[in-house]
Amino acid sequence: MRVLTRSLEVWRLGVLNYLEALKLQEKLVTDRKSGKITDTLLSLQHPPTYTLGKRQTVHNLLVSESQLKSMGAELHYTQRGGDITYHGPHQAILYPIISLRDIGFGARKYVETLELTMIELASLHGVKAHAGESGETGVWVGERKIGAIGVRISSGITSHGVAFNIDPDLSYFEHIVPCGIADKEVTSLKREVDSDLPAEELIHEQLISCFVRLFGYNNVIWKDNPSLCDQQS
Amino acid sequence: MAMRMWASSTANALKLSTAIRPHFSPAFSLSRCFSTVLEGFKYANSHEWVKHEGPVAAVGITDHAQDHLGEVVFVELPDAGSVVSQGKSFGNVESVKATSDVNSPISGEVVEVNSKLSETPGLINSSPYEDGWMIKVKPSNPSELESLMGSKEYTKFCEEEGGH
Repeated sequence: MRVLTRSLEVWRLGVLNYLEALKLQEKLVTDRKSGKITDTLLSLQHPPTYTLGKRQTVHNLLVSESQLKSMGAELHYTQRGGDITYHGPHQAILYPIISLRDIGFGARKYVETLELTMIELASLHGVKAHAGESGETGVWVGERKIGAIGVRISSGITSHGVAFNIDPDLSYFEHIVPCGIADKEVTSLKREVDSDLPAEELIHEQLISCFVRLFGYNNVIWKDNPSLCDQQS
Repeated sequence: MAMRMWASSTANALKLSTAIRPHFSPAFSLSRCFSTVLEGFKYANSHEWVKHEGPVAAVGITDHAQDHLGEVVFVELPDAGSVVSQGKSFGNVESVKATSDVNSPISGEVVEVNSKLSETPGLINSSPYEDGWMIKVKPSNPSELESLMGSKEYTKFCEEEGGH
């Protein structure tokens, strides 16, 4: 019996600056498009960073850019879908660079499966999360948002991805209308769980496992602290 | 005439979108995923369609594509006068937090852009072959159309591609 091998290379990058992560993704997308590399998943965190999507909904930024700088945060305009959001330490980020055509997924199915990935992670910790209603993509616990999604798809290859709040400093969200949805709170796993959380590294691994399972990979190659110039040739 | 009425009522029963032009009645074939595929159009394997109408060709995305994208909330299109190339991106659509590039099935000069899409991007979902057209191109190389798929091939392509 022949089993189709679905390989995923997982890069654990620690804390990485937004622009560097973006450059890396662009390189990986090009390589994935030409078939030089297999599906790749980046697992990382960012220093305090605000990002805007393709629609540049700057009206959802409630402070000036210079005030952001004085808070020690960066602001970036990106090509992903979705509205404004915040990324920071203690928030688990996954950027999958995968071929949707290989699995026959459209954008909607891809985003739904990313939502399921975060919902499963939450349930591992006894937290009942659910996907948002129409127009409110992301993962919610009740009326509080715990996970955000914003992706880009180019010739069937994905980039950008998801951000799951483990225990970030939620006050940073007060300076934006998160994802353009007013009157809804942002929450974190820490807030929703009664007991102590396990080590963050474990939670990052769990998120990766949920992704691997839901996207049907059966061969995982781990790459820790890869040199960013690794994929030169 | 009878064909058109049958097509239209069947489509209504199955809740499919059809594009019925007054001067031409298209036959449509049902793919397993119940997306509409129209005769007389050509299709790229990245799910864009092109319809040659005299000196100009209209371009958009297929019913299969819009169904897989979900509700379109924003469309970015090039300016009239820009040049597009076969297989290269000319714009993108945003749906459910995903921005997806749209590739041009042919090369040429953009002569018209569908300005209705900035107010009503959902036209791409409700009428992907008619009101949801994206750009009109003056083809620089009409023979490129021959490398594209016809409706039967495209239907088969969709069925084989993903099974949903």
